[in-house]
Amino acid sequence: MPEYTLLNPTTEPLIAPFDGAPRLPTLAGARLGIIDDSKRNADVLLEELAETLRTRYEIAGVQWHRKPSASRPADPSAIAALAKDCDAVVIAIGD
Amino acid sequence: MTQSKNTVTTHWDDIFDAVERGYELGWTDGLPVIPPTTDRVAAFLAAAHCAPGEIIGELPERRRIITADKVAANAVMAGCRPEYLTVVLAAAAAMLAPEFNLVGPSSSMGGAAILAIVNGPIAQELNINSRNNLFGPGNRANATIGRALRLVLMNACAAIPGLFDRSVIGHPGKYTYCIAEADTETHWTPLHVERGFPPGQSAVTVFAAEGPRQVRSVGRPDAILYAIADVASSLGTSLSTSGSVGDPEQGIRQGEIAVTIAGSSSLWQDWSKADVRSYLHAHIRRSAADLKRAQVFAGEIEPADEQNYLTLIPSPDDILLIFAGGEESNMSSVIPSWGPKVASAAVTKEINR
Repeated sequence: MPEYTLLNPTTEPLIAPFDGAPRLPTLAGARLGIIDDSKRNADVLLEELAETLRTRYEIAGVQWHRKPSASRPADPSAIAALAKDCDAVVIAIGD
Repeated sequence: MTQSKNTVTTHWDDIFDAVERGYELGWTDGLPVIPPTTDRVAAFLAAAHCAPGEIIGELPERRRIITADKVAANAVMAGCRPEYLTVVLAAAAAMLAPEFNLVGPSSSMGGAAILAIVNGPIAQELNINSRNNLFGPGNRANATIGRALRLVLMNACAAIPGLFDRSVIGHPGKYTYCIAEADTETHWTPLHVERGFPPGQSAVTVFAAEGPRQVRSVGRPDAILYAIADVASSLGTSLSTSGSVGDPEQGIRQGEIAVTIAGSSSLWQDWSKADVRSYLHAHIRRSAADLKRAQVFAGEIEPADEQNYLTLIPSPDDILLIFAGGEESNMSSVIPSWGPKVASAAVTKEINR
């Protein structure tokens, strides 16, 4: 049977190896970041979550970032600020 | 079959077996593809004067880099002729431009397709249809250039249905969605010239879009435009959903719209594209009362809401007006964008190889 060489039309993701951040031993006193994707009801869901974490775990504070569009990736400077100022970040979508 | 990262070595006895190989490899849009042999891909790249490793664009959210050989392989599979590759490369570069934000329209539940609109001399050189059966079948260039872009999306950009492509229903333009403007048959300024390119230059505009809604209307230009505006004002498009309407101070929260108008240019002799756009911008609108009925806005309907109209397009410049379609002047089309401009805006790139 004749042999043919095809050019693979697909691509593979190029991901450099990385280690995930260590898990927090407790949320007590943690500074929480939130990324709101700006879809309808995302703020409702996330405000309720933040309030629950405040009362249940006594988190220290909340830093809120709202994306201009759910379809856009978060601004790198906003991610850098959250990484600097927060111990944990919650990302959620609405709809 | 043996597979390295960039090539696959395989065997077949006849063309039926060759076609089956494309399905086994998971490379098709559901229709048969032409096998992208390395020889055929090299011939395509030569026709476009393009090196295989040239970077056409990046999709950082999916950690992908799209090189010319990948685009060429998908163009081969789609059934393109080698000389079409230059258009496919320009369109691929356009949809990978940051302002197009491909990750949005290629993944969204909204089910966008990528409409490619070709302008300039290359449309005639390659026989890209701008007339009868504009969005229909029967023309190789339109069918295969549009299909090549879909295969690039699926294979090179991982926009695979059920994986990253989460369309709820999608539309048939996701198989192929490529037209030309009949820019030599009208006094109207060609789309690419309006978008900053010289008239002798060929260019392609990509637009993340819903399907075309046919508008059947005959009569004076203002009557035709009244019907087009009525269709474009309907509830249920991306332009009339929450998040897009009612924030006039932030135009980027609203979308764009493409409008094709067919027929004889002489009917429009007293109208420029700017005149048409101005009319449509003012008339594509919906009352606050209707937007509340459809729960686009919250709240009880107040008497004043019935006469409080909101425009759905941020500015006349956000209407992509295209002279194209059959020679009878009774069919136009309205093509709403997939989403607001902040999520994806139309992009035009020159075709210059």
